[in-house]
Amino acid sequence: MSFIEFKNVCKMYPGSDKNTVDNFNLNIEEKEFIAFVGPSGCGKSTTLRMIAGFEEITGGELYIDGKKVNDVAPRDRGIAMVFQNYALYPHMTVEKNIGYGLKNMKMPADQIKQKVDWAIKILGLEEYRYRKPKNLSGGQRQRVALGRAIVKNSKVFLMDEPLSNLDAKLRVSMRTEISKLHRQIGATTIYVTHDQVEAMTMADRIVIMKEGVIQQVGKPMELYDHPKNQFVAGFIGSPQMNFFDVTVEKDTVRFTDGSTLTLSEGMLKKLNGRQGEMILGIRGEDIKMDAQNMEINSANKQHAVITDTEVMGNENNLYFNFGGTQAVARVSKYEISQIGDRINFVFMPSKMHFFDKETGVNYTEM
Amino acid sequence: MFTKKQRRINWILVAVLLVLSVFFLFPVIWMLANSFKPDAAITADMNSIAAFIPPAPDGNFFENYVSIITNTSFLRYMGNTLLYAAILIVLSIIVNGLAGYALAKINFPFRDQWLMIIIMLLIVPTETVITIHFLIIAKAGLLNTIVGYILPLIVNPFNIYLFRQVFVSLPDDVYEAAQLDFCGPVKYFFTMVLPMSKTVVATVSVFTFLNVWNDYLWPSLVFTSSDLLTAQIGLNSITSNENTTMGQTLAVITLVTIPVIIIYSLFSKQIVEGVTSTGSKEG
Amino acid sequence: MKKKNSIMGMAFFGPALVLLTIFLFLPMLLTLGFSFTDYFALNPELTHFVGLENYINIFKDELFVQSFLNTVKFVIIIVPLQCGGALLLALAINKAAHCKKYFKVAFFVPVVMSLAVVSTLWMQIYSPEGILNTLLANFGIDPQPFIHSADQALPSIAIMSVWQGVGYQMIIFLGGLQNINPALYEAAEMDHASGWQKFKDITLPELKPLCVFVFITVTIGAFRMLVQPMVMTGGGPDHSTYTIVYDIYETGTVNWEMGLASTMAIVFTVFVVILTIIQNVLTKDREGRKHVHKKAKAN
Repeated sequence: MSFIEFKNVCKMYPGSDKNTVDNFNLNIEEKEFIAFVGPSGCGKSTTLRMIAGFEEITGGELYIDGKKVNDVAPRDRGIAMVFQNYALYPHMTVEKNIGYGLKNMKMPADQIKQKVDWAIKILGLEEYRYRKPKNLSGGQRQRVALGRAIVKNSKVFLMDEPLSNLDAKLRVSMRTEISKLHRQIGATTIYVTHDQVEAMTMADRIVIMKEGVIQQVGKPMELYDHPKNQFVAGFIGSPQMNFFDVTVEKDTVRFTDGSTLTLSEGMLKKLNGRQGEMILGIRGEDIKMDAQNMEINSANKQHAVITDTEVMGNENNLYFNFGGTQAVARVSKYEISQIGDRINFVFMPSKMHFFDKETGVNYTEM
Repeated sequence: MFTKKQRRINWILVAVLLVLSVFFLFPVIWMLANSFKPDAAITADMNSIAAFIPPAPDGNFFENYVSIITNTSFLRYMGNTLLYAAILIVLSIIVNGLAGYALAKINFPFRDQWLMIIIMLLIVPTETVITIHFLIIAKAGLLNTIVGYILPLIVNPFNIYLFRQVFVSLPDDVYEAAQLDFCGPVKYFFTMVLPMSKTVVATVSVFTFLNVWNDYLWPSLVFTSSDLLTAQIGLNSITSNENTTMGQTLAVITLVTIPVIIIYSLFSKQIVEGVTSTGSKEG
Repeated sequence: MKKKNSIMGMAFFGPALVLLTIFLFLPMLLTLGFSFTDYFALNPELTHFVGLENYINIFKDELFVQSFLNTVKFVIIIVPLQCGGALLLALAINKAAHCKKYFKVAFFVPVVMSLAVVSTLWMQIYSPEGILNTLLANFGIDPQPFIHSADQALPSIAIMSVWQGVGYQMIIFLGGLQNINPALYEAAEMDHASGWQKFKDITLPELKPLCVFVFITVTIGAFRMLVQPMVMTGGGPDHSTYTIVYDIYETGTVNWEMGLASTMAIVFTVFVVILTIIQNVLTKDREGRKHVHKKAKAN
């Protein structure tokens, strides 16, 4: 049996006629780092709060460490949580904040001190030990919130958008710190975020949700390279995957602006004879302009005019109109282009995805 | 910054206000200055500027105060009142605070209706129920007891409402975090909610103190035994005594005002905020 | 979870609810009930239901009518002096560039003192050979009887009440003045508004809800006049300072005629509630218009 098990878990708020979380099934293994991602309102926070016990489970069963916890009080579930706004006790010093739970567990004072010392050291809070939360920066508060969670020896860590209140630079450094902490402590961690970059960089597995339903569960690269549907494909990756309305006839793909390309053997096999209107998806870095790729795929060479550029430093994003929509290509910093330049490019033949126009299902990943 | 004309207006304004404030303060200054004088001197000074100047300090400077303190139970009355105030502050924070917290954060049945009722109770003038309070306390045999005096004063719709308004904006996640730290709801209220809301606790304490200290009607009904009197009632019984001199009267009313002055100077910020907030909230 | 909430809610709200029931709901019901009876607290067995008789009788009762008229007189003197005085003081102090802090304290000092203290102090000041008469003599004014005459007692007490209370409302107005966005005045300055225009077009409209609030609270406060005449004149001379609340208090707790006292209390409460409703309507109306205004702007 897995460490945390969801069996058809549902959440319906009173006065609503629709499940906010619908038939949620998931097994989480011990020591795993799982990220729940999705747009706001997708039910990821509600799911997390059901694990914590702050939201009632209105259907299905939830097991933690083999025990059904539907009716267990939050404090008895053996969990620790890091809140979005940190939820520090404002009138207590850093030290007291971290040790508060232990004190309430009636742990002897010397043991509390030992644990708090350890947490303060691991989080680099030595200087701030006797400060109150209002005299700490956002990053320091975040650390105190983490400290409060790690001292309790909980087997499960729940984190609800813990980095969303930090500035961009701090977010990146806290990301690595939380990953490091997870490796050191090894508690099962469930991390809720709307930021797919956080999920990609930190999680062992990602759960993508939309409107209360799991869209796909998998390792980060699995989701990136093999999205099961158009929603996952569009949600993961920045800039977003390019989508084109196309018609497939035998081995020919026809764009709405009349451009065409011929499909490779491998792709035809994946499509398994499907034809007609569908959506072609391709990531920006799989649109190639270098001489080598152009030569290999010379038969499917396309043309466009650059309408906009984004210079990132290490790479450039080039925007152009193609196939009846705006598309973006991600090229290395050595491939310099300017607005108004005419470019030739090819789509990497094996990197194309074809989605059903209605359901969004990825035909190439079935 | 100021133009010439503005500067002239400003000086006229300040001058007028200064004169006005002197007129305004004359009863208070007169009270203070003459509380140190024997009656003969008060009458003699009446028609000169000396009426507003305390006498030169000598051995008899505090005579009126000394005779009040030694010949009457006034210090005891002040002590009584302090005790009542202390008890009431604790009880009203607990009772009204718990109720305010329930109305703010606990989703119990008919909560919103209770809140409406509390708000409507704010309108009811207390004078109208005071006779019934008297009847209830008399029937319960609690006249002339501290319990009888305190019981009707504990619950206060205004304090409940004040607490509720402050508690409602406390973050919920702190409560959730405390739950995970094995802190139950009652412990949470006393060790988290109250310390996090120091300002409103101070405001309620200060206003409870002032109410108890300055109240006249209710203690005059409940207490007839001289041992239990509050300062205001004691003051009245002392000053209405034929043998009390004018100087002693002034000394008593100065004495009874001193604690209030101390409270006001310590908590002037909370009080001004409290006063202005009654205006801005309702207005 | 729901059950847990109701238990916890009642545990937290319960103590207050018990006390509210005993000391507010029950008294209110009893007052209403008694007002239709001739309940005499010293002999409760003889209580009869008398219908609206009390309501008719109190208005035939000369003493109650006089106390009612006295109360109205108090209101008429106190309200304009205290509201107007507080507003003028606040405007002046807000404008003054010097001694602001001193003025605030000076005019607030009487607020600090209790009703009993102020009443006792002014008994001395108003005494026939007292300091006030001595001061007036310097201006060639004959000694006045003040609280010892049926003509002067009521205005004397009213003026003293204004002296004591005006500082409180002054602080409220000062708070309101400080809350006015200074950018409004700067904008008016750009639009060549004169000092008077700024006052009329910015200060007054911004202060209007506060004015209504102050007006109503001072009115209700004056309606509740009791301790000052109780301490200073005992309602006299000739009942010239006897007020409604004084009458309620004496009828109920001295004469034990709870039935009659309750009727007076109900009449009094109705007055206060009407005043409060008027205040709510006046201030709500303004908010409503403000809202409409905003909407119109948005469109």
